[in-house]
Amino acid sequence: MRAPGSWVDAIIAAGAVPAAYVPDARSGRGDIEEFTGAELVEGAELGTHAVGDVRPTALRAVSFLDGIERWRVVGYGGVTPIVRAHVAAAVRARGPDRRLRTLQEESRELAVTRLEALTPAVREALTGSRVRVVEFAAEEAGQPARAIQAARSEVERARAALEQALGERRAAALGPGEWLVVDGVLSDSAALSEHPRTLGVIKSHGAQFFEGPELERALTLPAGHRTSVFRPRRRGARREIYSWYLRLWPWEGNDLLYGMLRVEARADADTVAQASGLSAWLVRERAPVSTPDARWDRLLYPIHDVETYLKSRAPRDLVRPPAFRLPRTGS
Amino acid sequence: MIQQRDHEPIGRVVATELKPATPYQFHFWTAQETTIGIGAIVRVEDAAGSGERGAGRVVYGVVTDGFAYSDLATPLHDVVGAEGDPVRAAESPTVRQEIRLWTAAVLRQMPEEPLQPVPLGRVHVATDADVAQALRMDSYLSGPHPTGIPIGLYTSGGREAPVFLDAEFLLGPEAAHLNISGVSGLATKTSAVEFLLASIFQHFPRHKGRIAAVCFNVKGPDLCFLDRPGTLDEEDRRRYERLGIAPRPFERVRYYAPFKADGVNLNTLRTHPDLVADVEPLVWGLQEVLDFAEVLLNRDDIDAKADAFIDFLADRMLNREFDDGFGGTHRVATFADLDRLFRAIFDGLELAGRSDMWRTHHIATIRKIRNRLANISTRCKGLVTDDGPSNDLPWGGFEDRTVYVVDVANVDPLGQDLVFTRVVSKLREHLERRDLGVDAVVVFVDELNKYAPADGPDTYVKKMLLDISERGRYLGLVLFGAQQFRSQVHRRVVGNAGTVVFGRMDADELATPGYQVLSPATKIKLATLPVGELMTRHPHFTQPIFVRFPRPAVLRGRDGVEQFPPAPDLPFEDAVVRHLVKLDARIRPNQVKDLIADRTPEDVRRALARTRQARPGEPFAYFRRLLGTRVATVVAPVREAVSPLNPISEEPY
Repeated sequence: MRAPGSWVDAIIAAGAVPAAYVPDARSGRGDIEEFTGAELVEGAELGTHAVGDVRPTALRAVSFLDGIERWRVVGYGGVTPIVRAHVAAAVRARGPDRRLRTLQEESRELAVTRLEALTPAVREALTGSRVRVVEFAAEEAGQPARAIQAARSEVERARAALEQALGERRAAALGPGEWLVVDGVLSDSAALSEHPRTLGVIKSHGAQFFEGPELERALTLPAGHRTSVFRPRRRGARREIYSWYLRLWPWEGNDLLYGMLRVEARADADTVAQASGLSAWLVRERAPVSTPDARWDRLLYPIHDVETYLKSRAPRDLVRPPAFRLPRTGS
Repeated sequence: MIQQRDHEPIGRVVATELKPATPYQFHFWTAQETTIGIGAIVRVEDAAGSGERGAGRVVYGVVTDGFAYSDLATPLHDVVGAEGDPVRAAESPTVRQEIRLWTAAVLRQMPEEPLQPVPLGRVHVATDADVAQALRMDSYLSGPHPTGIPIGLYTSGGREAPVFLDAEFLLGPEAAHLNISGVSGLATKTSAVEFLLASIFQHFPRHKGRIAAVCFNVKGPDLCFLDRPGTLDEEDRRRYERLGIAPRPFERVRYYAPFKADGVNLNTLRTHPDLVADVEPLVWGLQEVLDFAEVLLNRDDIDAKADAFIDFLADRMLNREFDDGFGGTHRVATFADLDRLFRAIFDGLELAGRSDMWRTHHIATIRKIRNRLANISTRCKGLVTDDGPSNDLPWGGFEDRTVYVVDVANVDPLGQDLVFTRVVSKLREHLERRDLGVDAVVVFVDELNKYAPADGPDTYVKKMLLDISERGRYLGLVLFGAQQFRSQVHRRVVGNAGTVVFGRMDADELATPGYQVLSPATKIKLATLPVGELMTRHPHFTQPIFVRFPRPAVLRGRDGVEQFPPAPDLPFEDAVVRHLVKLDARIRPNQVKDLIADRTPEDVRRALARTRQARPGEPFAYFRRLLGTRVATVVAPVREAVSPLNPISEEPY
């Protein structure tokens, strides 16, 4: 399945072997997957705080940012995959009528490959088209499986960059009392991590900030509770940020991470003061639930809405086709 | 006035494998807040040069169903999100994504060939011009001889457009007849017909000739005040103006009603002194009854012997010198004459004691026919005169754009059948000969389920209604029938109605098989339709269309009775005075009372009827002269046979 008249046609015409491989989709920004450690900024030891009786922070207007990526191997130049990718991000704002409307939206189409591994004709066809070409590292190009993983990383990077750009633009435009909720970490962006009214909501918990009893306390957090605010240790380009865990739904009978969010906000004393109010507000965001998404226990409905919006506008040929259907037989 | 087309789309056609777009149906979504609803007409088009398949096609459709749903996977998830508390469910910070999805039935595709599935294009609210195109009204609203008859305003999506019926298909000859259904008590059926008649009278094309209407008033005062102005509000007047109809009562209305049993007081609710002068008595004699004797006979009565005797009676005895075979000579012109003949026959047979047969007819057959004929003169005393001149509708003298109201509301059902059958048969007879005075007649009959029921015996009335339904359009005899339950009317009567109108319908009726073609949403709309709104089907419209019509500009029956309360029945002498004073205002009451004081009522009634019929220059002198001697019975003109109806066949309409 090819987009008619696109650069894909051009590279196929130039000799690339057509392919149709859609990898499993991964959307949303993940967490770092290592032990980094953290410093408590609220209390002497990691505590748990009920937020059920706390007055939720009244947010006058909230925008939600999320992004998606869709990609497909559309051809091979020799054994080097040529990937067609679509990355998109959008900010949808919730108005007084409690409905979400798109404020900002951006998408890009990318070709991901290693140009020098392609035949001159295919390379020329690709570079001659108007598509933006992103190359993965030369050492990843030899082995197709590694090349595809490398392409995936490039697509993720492109999507994260788009989200970040959109988020920073939105954060700069936020009016007094307006908030921006980002699906994923804030600490990749200086503008976002320093803004007083941005929140990062992280659903995946690869990073490990605590050990021993504190880890147990954090991961067995009761529903409607948050942990003390802590400061994850800085790593690489990550900025100073404050964070805390928040349990939306009871985990007992499910899994330790069930209904668990990690929230990021500006590293500021105000964040500690607002942590319970913001948490109470996030608990209210449990409804409506974002089913049928499998991550509904952690996926805020407005984030799910942004994702649904972006998916509905993504090129249809990049969606994994449904199972092949055989015609019904008479018997 | 043609409105400017609005280029802003209000929706977009969507198609999935489970809900595909077809040549006859499509689905589209709109914003949550939309002005369209069930019955709205929409236009689907693709922008020229868009490159999309089907670009350039325009499809018109009418909304037949609507759906709303959210992205909620199952209701249980809503319960989970609100933790079982409905109050919390309403307090969720975000409203779920919802959809307004509509199903529309295709009204017209342009170009019409090749017929293809509806393109997945933009959806617009239909304008006046779109409505005309969608309903194919453009074919009969333009040209040298437009034939449009306004029936109401299509209103939807904040727009309003006049809807016209094609006179060729409403009043013949292409198709004809109108059938209207609706629950009783909402004044929809009668109001709609009154409005439509006014519309027809004002818009019937001149090139199609002259037209009149005959309305049978079968209940209360419904049609008794068609010449009196009713109350209209500003909205009604605006609708009249939009439809191009002058809001005025009927200019020419002729009322006919039989007498009550006393033979002098009219059996109608239009007896107020200011109005009663317009009411003509409807009186029939033996000849008028005998032509339709079959109406009076029930199913068991109809046999070859009875039929033969009625024929003998009509052909050999009526208005002829006749020897009874026992030495007596008779000339049978009235019920009284006939009764004398019957007595002579019975007496003669009894005295002779020779046989039970008279002129090949068995005495039992003769007695049966005598009983039936005597029965009608008893049960319908006032309509049927035992002995006296008849007074009938002006056969041959029908006037253009005139309503003839025949008030039989208080007449015995048998008499109603007789009136109905005879009037319609005479209309058919005269229209066949083209000597009625008009080229087309609309006959309005309410309670059609009574006269042409779906089941039950094949009565003469039913046969006649079937005949009109199937052949009337060629003659210009158009049936406007109304009933509460369409399913209870003979299918060939309703099936032959080219135009079908529905007011508010009963839910049980809508559950019958005849309504299976309607969507559940359309049925719900029909079951809750407000007064003044109708659903219309017409040969040019491929789907039913909802229209609104203004209140008729005539006085409603109920209001008329309050404004013009019926006068109480007058004593015999006073009633006679009133009839004569109506002929000549100079006549003094005491003069009349003195004259009739020592006369029998029968003689007075006969003299009065003759005077009324003759309309002499000096009515009182004429009346006195008639009373001076025995008033001779009227010799009716030579009877013209009514051609028999075709027998009911099983052929489909």
